[in-house]
Amino acid sequence: MKFQIEDVTVYFPYDNIYPEQYAYMVELKRALDAKGHCLLEMPTGTGKTIALLSLITSYALSKPSNPIKFIYCTRTVHEMEKTLSELKLLHNYQLQHLGPAAKILALGLSSRKNLCINPTVVSAENRDSVDAACRKLTASWVRELAAENPRIPTCSFFENYEKSASEAILPPGVYTLQDLRAYGKLKGWCPYFLARHMVQLANVVVYSYQYLLDPKVAGIISKEMQRESVVVFDEAHNIDNVCIEALSVSVRMQTLEGATRNINRMSQEIDRFKATDAGRLRAEYNRLVEGLALRGDLPASDAWLANPALPNDILKEAVPGNIRRAEHFLSVLRRLVQYIRGRLQTENVEKEGPVAFVASVNTQAGIDQKMLRFCYDRLHSLMLTLEISDTDEFLHIQTICDFATLVGTYTRGFSIIIEPFDERMPHIPDPVLQLCCHDASLAIKPVFERFQSVVITSGTLSPIDLYPRLLNFNPVVSRSFTMSLTRDCICPMVLTRGSDQLPVSTKYDLRSDPGVEKNYGKLLLEMVSVVPDGIVCFFVSYSYMDGIVNSWHETGLLKEIMQHKLVFIETQDVVETTLALDNYRKACDCGRGAVFFSVARGKVAEGIDFDRHYGRLVIMFGVPFQYTLSRILLARLEYLRDTFQIKEGDFLTFDALRQAAQCVGRVIRSKADYGMMIFADKRYSRHDKRSKLPGWILSHLRDAHLNLSTDMAAHIAREFLRKMAQPYDKTGVMGKKTLLSEADLEKMGNSNLGEMF
Amino acid sequence: MADKQQQVVVKRARHKSSVKDPGTPGVLKLTKDRFTFMPNDPSSPVKHNVEFRTIKGHKFTKDGTKQALLNLTQDQGGNYIFEFENFPDRNVCKDFVASAIALSGEAGRTVPEKSAVPIQDEQLSAAEMERRIKLLQEDSDLQKLHKQFVIGGILSEAEFWATRKKLLEQNYSRRPKQRVALKNDMWSTKPLADGQIFAEKPAVRQAYLNFVPNKMTEKEFWTKYSRAEYLHSTKNVIAAAAEAAEDEELAVFLKQDDMLVNEARKKIRQVDPTLDMEADEGDDYMHLPIQDHGLPRNDNKDVLDSQYEPYRRSFSQHLNQHAAVVLQGRVIDVELGDTRSVAEALARTKHAELAKDASDVYLDKERLERISRMTEIEDLQAPRDPAVAPLSIKDPRDYFDSQQANAFSTLGDTVSGAKQLKCSVSTREAYCSLKECISEIKFQGLTEPTINSEVAFKVLNGLAQNISSNKYHLGRNPNESVLDSLPKITREELLLHWSSIQELLKHFWSSYPITTKYLLTKATKLKDAMSQIYPKLQEIKESVQSDLRHQVSLLVQPMLQALDAAFAHYDADVQNRSARSGERPNGF
Repeated sequence: MKFQIEDVTVYFPYDNIYPEQYAYMVELKRALDAKGHCLLEMPTGTGKTIALLSLITSYALSKPSNPIKFIYCTRTVHEMEKTLSELKLLHNYQLQHLGPAAKILALGLSSRKNLCINPTVVSAENRDSVDAACRKLTASWVRELAAENPRIPTCSFFENYEKSASEAILPPGVYTLQDLRAYGKLKGWCPYFLARHMVQLANVVVYSYQYLLDPKVAGIISKEMQRESVVVFDEAHNIDNVCIEALSVSVRMQTLEGATRNINRMSQEIDRFKATDAGRLRAEYNRLVEGLALRGDLPASDAWLANPALPNDILKEAVPGNIRRAEHFLSVLRRLVQYIRGRLQTENVEKEGPVAFVASVNTQAGIDQKMLRFCYDRLHSLMLTLEISDTDEFLHIQTICDFATLVGTYTRGFSIIIEPFDERMPHIPDPVLQLCCHDASLAIKPVFERFQSVVITSGTLSPIDLYPRLLNFNPVVSRSFTMSLTRDCICPMVLTRGSDQLPVSTKYDLRSDPGVEKNYGKLLLEMVSVVPDGIVCFFVSYSYMDGIVNSWHETGLLKEIMQHKLVFIETQDVVETTLALDNYRKACDCGRGAVFFSVARGKVAEGIDFDRHYGRLVIMFGVPFQYTLSRILLARLEYLRDTFQIKEGDFLTFDALRQAAQCVGRVIRSKADYGMMIFADKRYSRHDKRSKLPGWILSHLRDAHLNLSTDMAAHIAREFLRKMAQPYDKTGVMGKKTLLSEADLEKMGNSNLGEMF
Repeated sequence: MADKQQQVVVKRARHKSSVKDPGTPGVLKLTKDRFTFMPNDPSSPVKHNVEFRTIKGHKFTKDGTKQALLNLTQDQGGNYIFEFENFPDRNVCKDFVASAIALSGEAGRTVPEKSAVPIQDEQLSAAEMERRIKLLQEDSDLQKLHKQFVIGGILSEAEFWATRKKLLEQNYSRRPKQRVALKNDMWSTKPLADGQIFAEKPAVRQAYLNFVPNKMTEKEFWTKYSRAEYLHSTKNVIAAAAEAAEDEELAVFLKQDDMLVNEARKKIRQVDPTLDMEADEGDDYMHLPIQDHGLPRNDNKDVLDSQYEPYRRSFSQHLNQHAAVVLQGRVIDVELGDTRSVAEALARTKHAELAKDASDVYLDKERLERISRMTEIEDLQAPRDPAVAPLSIKDPRDYFDSQQANAFSTLGDTVSGAKQLKCSVSTREAYCSLKECISEIKFQGLTEPTINSEVAFKVLNGLAQNISSNKYHLGRNPNESVLDSLPKITREELLLHWSSIQELLKHFWSSYPITTKYLLTKATKLKDAMSQIYPKLQEIKESVQSDLRHQVSLLVQPMLQALDAAFAHYDADVQNRSARSGERPNGF
């Protein structure tokens, strides 16, 4: 369908639209008009992504003179694929109605690991080794050598790509990662470098958060994005955590040992160069005198992860004199590693701020703040000079330099915590030094400053006023939408008691109570016999899940559960979990039905949808609080209290409940879908906890469902499922429209829209 | 698969005129369309040269029984029995014969069929033909139906396939067909019975093939296996590692299954990209101190003992692998019982599966289609498939009540004959009648019960127990159904009739309204065929033992009802037609 929002003609690839999608688009358009940032919460299952894509592309189409670029950030690669396939659908529709004028270039960008088509490179184990294997074939010095000596291997895809030079471009269209690989194979070009190049020209770029938030990556990938861009962070309820993680580093004993090895290797290389090619080192020295800004002139294939968060003006400064020479720099690194090693030998937990830490480095190791700050770039320059291509071997020294640069750059919002052993296993020494960032706004600040509009959106952003504070920005639009419902297609319940009427909880004192474990098991058993197709269970942690599944196994409950459905389980091994998920879907597809055990805050909870028959019921066993004994968390809570006056308890509850809401929200995808949510813990019945849930769940949570036991829950489930199986009128009942057609929209106009909500 | 592509199979065998007969030794040669038997003694009169076209079916003995027999039955009733020297030989021939019969039978039959049915002017492409043949080969039930109706002349080839367009298309896109499932039971007492251990643990399978019987006996092997399982169950990694260091065979069981790891690596490439979390890992540029947003990690405690790493095996891993195997179902069609052949067959199928290229064009296409289907928001769009009338049960209780009423009324009919029941009673009337009854009883008293109360109680008890135990058992265990409790012959007969009735009814109803002469003859033909089945069903009902009769009749009842409805419709239509035929000259 096609409709007007003020001066923009919006192309929407379906015959009908939900009213909240329309309202969402209106708000979004106002934010774009105002060239400001916005914060929008809309429940899952209301087609947020397609509304976003369709409005922003239509907006860009309506202003051909001043084209805006659209940067869409997803949390994960599979969400990227999903987004791109929705965009494909939309693009086809726009092409049908507008013809060639609607042509755009949209593509997803990921690492070499996901894009490489060279079979020898891509077979490497992990991302870092793929990167290194690629560099071994494509680094400028390797190619120079190969030009003389044909026996040195190069990558034919990269060579072809380089040869075609300016002709190597992608024709307009929407490219998923798979499409990029297919196109690369067809043309014989390297898809990774092609995509990297095309990102500058594309109308729509879809990539992971980190390409904007992690300064190391953002520096090279997103450097040339124009200001007139719309940046969208979808599923952004965890954005503060991502920001914090982007600027945190941890150093262990293994890191230090590895770093020492790296330093030795580099010093050998320096000696070798001194003997054979002293000119190179001198040239580097001269380059460093002129400043780091030259780095941009390096060939594309050598491009490095850029400096972690150095402000631009520093980049123009020259590297301090005492680390310009390679040997001097290495000895600085040696001293730094030695210093950290000494700090790790502590008996007690230590915590200090960056300023104190830098001062102590200065007095004990003779390294001042400025030298620390330049470590990362200096290392990077040195490694290029030394022509090191197996970069995956050098991760340890990179970590150390990363740490040095961060600690030398920021004076507040960070703390350094040294723990001699893990709190839970005090008898095993495992010292770790952690630089943790507490201020989420530090990493996202450059994004807000650089781009015209930043849209932060998710299904769960409650309480919505907290996010601007955490991220320190001023949205022009901040709204939370409710779901207009044709029928009560979600059924949240709070289960406080088990089948024996005793309370259930994952609270510390009840956690390992066999009675609670049994009650949880009975609940699941009851539900597998009632609910068809898929059931998803979330637990509060891996160890809790392992424990309870084992105890169900021992008591025979698991066997009974398996009489009804197949059981799959998330593990910490991603490959295995992915295969388990794939099998889970197959089991649901073939009608056999299955149960998936997963962990709140885990990878599955973060990004996998259990819509339609893949999930008719979610059970959240317990309240997924963070591990509260963690020093990092305590330090962050302290920071939040001092800086934003947010109480610790409030933040912890907010955080736990947003995770719980996130978990249960994965069952609904559209209004034709339906699903039940069971919050199985007595603490959910308390108002202070419950009220932190997003409004669209709360509005369905009836008072009668606040204090249930297993048998009552099973009864409600039966009733609900039977009700959902009845035919219903999709367009809405009782005079309230829940599905709008083109004609409806025209009739309505923009004037009386406000009355609808 | 390799066997099928083989053009000729030559094996030593004995031809026997009966099972007891010692037989004539000779050479059996199988080609695509015929088999020949040449006796070693050229003077012997026992020579055969038979086309597969005339062969109706084949039977064989179980692996591991006394004789490796293969029995080919001919159309006209004759049969050829061959005894082979060993079972593998027999199995090769058996597979070859099975495919040859299906192939030649199909090819031989469809050609004359086409000329026999005049309406069938449709020209089939070779690909189409091939697909049909393949379907028939894969699905024995379908083959039976095809034989019964198409060869039996009740339906034409085109008619038969017209209702299966979807099946043909599906097959084209290579959807997996339904397979026999494994029991979802990780702790089965006889896990060997269906090769479950071998399917779940490829390393054990491999070890079995390597060790038994050369290095150790079967018993020793399973003892070692059980020992390893026990060690795992104690979760004592260090003890496991110590024992494995002493005993290298035991170590095979204790170490991580490398074959599974490799398999996983291959499978991950075929996974739906919208849930591929491995790709996320590849995109993660952060080496994080805190992962998973505040989730405590419990893997760092393992730093110390990396040497024990291969012996660590988690229960969750086992759980996933088990579910995957159950989901895959029984992939082999070997006669179960012989452990070695099961292991070999499994190894073969796995190998073939993995050899399939991940970049298969079909798979890719299917995956893409699937993704685009998944991304669409269903209720914003008119449905893709032609609309199906929704099942409209406004109030489920109403529906079930009415069903019950139906059941009662039929019950009432049979018992009390023509006694009319007054169904619509007002509350007042009901009350009055109840009151009357009570006062009657009050007046007369219950002094003369018609039967002895003890006897009555016993009867009631017996009946109730039977009913309640049935009710309790039925549907309680998803792996068992009423059908399983029936004798095998009855069950198969029932299923066969059920599918043929369905087929016939489908065609019967689709030929209404009758607008052409062709449809009229078709309907008549179908009706005749159905009326032949009708008495057979009654027979089945009467033939079963009394304790099962109730259940069988429950199963047969809906079939009979469906047939009755069809007959009634047919008769009404014929009457209508004859009544109107006077007015309309052409009869339609």
